[in-house]
Amino acid sequence: MSALALIETRSLVKRYGDKIAVDNVSLQVQGGEVFGFLGPNGAGKTTTIKMIVGLLQPTSGTVHVVGVDVQAQPLIAKASCGYVPDTPNLYAKLTARELLRFVGDLYNLDRRQVAQRTEELLRVLDLTSVADDTVDSYSHGMQQKASLASALMHDPKVLVLDEPTVGLDPKSARLIKDLLRQMADRGAAVFLSTHILEIAERMCDRIGIINKGQLVAVGTMTELRSLGKAGEVSLEDIFLALTGGAEEAEIAEILK
Amino acid sequence: MSTLASPPSARFLPSVWKLIRLRLLISFNGFKHARLIRKILTCIAILGLLAFAGLILFLSWILLDFLRSPELAKYVGTDVTPFLQAVPVLIFTGLFLGILLSSFGVLLQALYLSGDMDFLLSSPVPIRAVFVTKLLQAVLPNFGLIALFGLPVLYGLGLAGHYSILYFPLVILTMVALALAAAGLSALLVMLVARVFPARRAAEILGFVGAMLAFTCSQAGNIYNSFGHSTNVSGAQVSNMFSLLMRFNTPWLPLNWAGQGLVALGEGRWLTGFLLVALTLGLSTVLFMFALGTAERLYYSGWAGMQVVTRKKKKARSIRPVSSVAASLPGAAAVELVPALRLGRLLPAPIRAIIWKDFLLLRRDLRNLSQLISPLIFGVVYSFMIFNIGNQPSAGQAGAPDWLLNSLGVLLTYGNVGMSLFVGWMLLARLSGMAFSSEGKYYWVLKAAPLRSAHLLIAKFLVAYLPTLALGLFFLVGISLFQKIPIPGFLYSLLAVAMCLAGMNGILLAFGVLGANFKWEDPRKMSAGGLGCLGQFLTMLYLPLAFGLFIGPLWLVSAFNFPQFYGYLAGAILGTLVTAACAFLPPWLVQGKVARLAES
Repeated sequence: MSALALIETRSLVKRYGDKIAVDNVSLQVQGGEVFGFLGPNGAGKTTTIKMIVGLLQPTSGTVHVVGVDVQAQPLIAKASCGYVPDTPNLYAKLTARELLRFVGDLYNLDRRQVAQRTEELLRVLDLTSVADDTVDSYSHGMQQKASLASALMHDPKVLVLDEPTVGLDPKSARLIKDLLRQMADRGAAVFLSTHILEIAERMCDRIGIINKGQLVAVGTMTELRSLGKAGEVSLEDIFLALTGGAEEAEIAEILK
Repeated sequence: MSTLASPPSARFLPSVWKLIRLRLLISFNGFKHARLIRKILTCIAILGLLAFAGLILFLSWILLDFLRSPELAKYVGTDVTPFLQAVPVLIFTGLFLGILLSSFGVLLQALYLSGDMDFLLSSPVPIRAVFVTKLLQAVLPNFGLIALFGLPVLYGLGLAGHYSILYFPLVILTMVALALAAAGLSALLVMLVARVFPARRAAEILGFVGAMLAFTCSQAGNIYNSFGHSTNVSGAQVSNMFSLLMRFNTPWLPLNWAGQGLVALGEGRWLTGFLLVALTLGLSTVLFMFALGTAERLYYSGWAGMQVVTRKKKKARSIRPVSSVAASLPGAAAVELVPALRLGRLLPAPIRAIIWKDFLLLRRDLRNLSQLISPLIFGVVYSFMIFNIGNQPSAGQAGAPDWLLNSLGVLLTYGNVGMSLFVGWMLLARLSGMAFSSEGKYYWVLKAAPLRSAHLLIAKFLVAYLPTLALGLFFLVGISLFQKIPIPGFLYSLLAVAMCLAGMNGILLAFGVLGANFKWEDPRKMSAGGLGCLGQFLTMLYLPLAFGLFIGPLWLVSAFNFPQFYGYLAGAILGTLVTAACAFLPPWLVQGKVARLAES
């Protein structure tokens, strides 16, 4: 594993008026690492991700991507970063092939490279048969794959994904998991948020848990287990203990 | 496992009420959470509509009373009573057809595109209640609108004719029955269309056709005039219209029974009246129930959700050599799109890509096309009007002085510039003013990319400017040829149009950035907030000013008999300087804002 921190946030804060969405979050993700970002709904995962990829300006603190300050040099940082949002909002009236070529041009890729990458990604993500259909005719899963393809178009060193496996069938989910692992093995930093703890447990080298805007735990599975009580061996137990196990017990009582 | 839900209730009306209450709650919440100014405006609009309905009632009463007066009949020599008796027939026919057509779009949206059908159908509510609520939801706004105009007229007719008291409640009952029957039929039509086309595509086509029809109707008078016809109505035409209306009021059309029955009831012809009204109400109920039941079955069985016509499968794409694939890339396409602009290759790839992408989306989305074609129709209509006027002012009966005729001649000669600018203004208001808003929820693609704000602004500027300039030039060349404008005048017009449009584009683009709205689902709601309007208002001031800077010196030299060359020179320098500043400065000023867009 490379020791270079490809993503680094320092004391990251985002406020909306009185509400603190992200509170003093500092973390590092090295090259070759898959980092899982977990947290309950509204904990600040998407806000943190948006600040990392330069979609949102932090109230304070800094984000460095490939060693570059995202606020100071956004173009260099963005050129190294691929982003898959939680909802795959892609230009509905473009075909997948047109979308990938458009993204290739946005990232200033060489034309030959764009053509090769487009065909490659369409084939790998099993989109070749629908590559000339407009995106609005795609299912959610196909749109998600098209979104991933556009994020991978420029072979980024940093890949940030917000709930990448939501709405995917098992085959596509497996495909995406394999792709992310391959990206990390080739030295990229993969930062993904997910609600599926099983994915995080199996795929991620390290996991960060955010609750009410604060990063409450970061580490490998072994390190996280050491934080919990003796009986908390699964990620689910640790997650619930850190983010409000009492609420979970209450829900279980209501559902009984 | 226990369940908190009570056993499913088969009670129909309480379920309808529950669903209607939900709609009312959503509307009330929308009002409650709206800004104060919006609340005040809504209240004023409601009061205004009520006052308007009252005014129509009063005017109808007075007017119809006057038309019924025997003195008038004696004076005019024509009995207008048959015409007055045809008024309810016209209104009820209009109501039925209006609801039938207008409900189509609303029902298409409500049944297939709103996304709440699955939620509603999976809840323990009778399916019929869901459908009835959807029909009511589709009917109510249009019914309200038609009733706002029709009901006061019908009541005015009843008051003026001293109709029986039974006439008044039956008018409302008949209107409701006909509206529901029309909505039921509309629901069936929606099912048939959704069987053939994807609902979203059908909605796009409907929006396009609707917008075009509305626009063409609104311009019908001007189109008629542009072909040299007069809109003054002669006595013979009025007489013809009356006889046409009376011929339309035949008892053989079932749609006429409602109006004829109500008039008969009002006038005390009880048997005919009751028979016709009862027939109308009965037929409407049967039609409504049949349509409702059939639509329900078609929807629930999935028949209407399975498209029988699918898109042609495109041929499998053959693997082409890399060199040939590269030639079809967006950057290349952008250049190929306008062969004359091979200079486009000089533009950075991201700019070319955005231009290519925006042109594709503009062309493919019919909802955009309707907004873009309007300026073209406007331009054609007004161009015909200019052709009719010609470019030589008339001296009039009194004989206008030469200096005034010369000056007017200059203005008329450059009427082509005015037309091009007017068409350009309409097109730019959409293309430039909404350049950023049109990205909507897709804006993240651009924002996450390593794209300079300046490049984005340049791309958006060109996306708006190139087609506008092309359209402006099209009208300029066309009108100049017809008016036989001399070459120097044409070239000068060319410069004026190109520069005025560039300046206007800069202003609109800057205001488009300041008022950018990315939270829309329907492109018609893209423009939100006052900044876009302010931009359009400013360009309305800018246009005459910029036009004046080009034309003013010509007018002055013409009025004072100086050589025309000086006018061209002064106008070109002044106009170019000011318009270039307007094209460049406003976008430059908002460049910083672009980087922070969509972060709130």
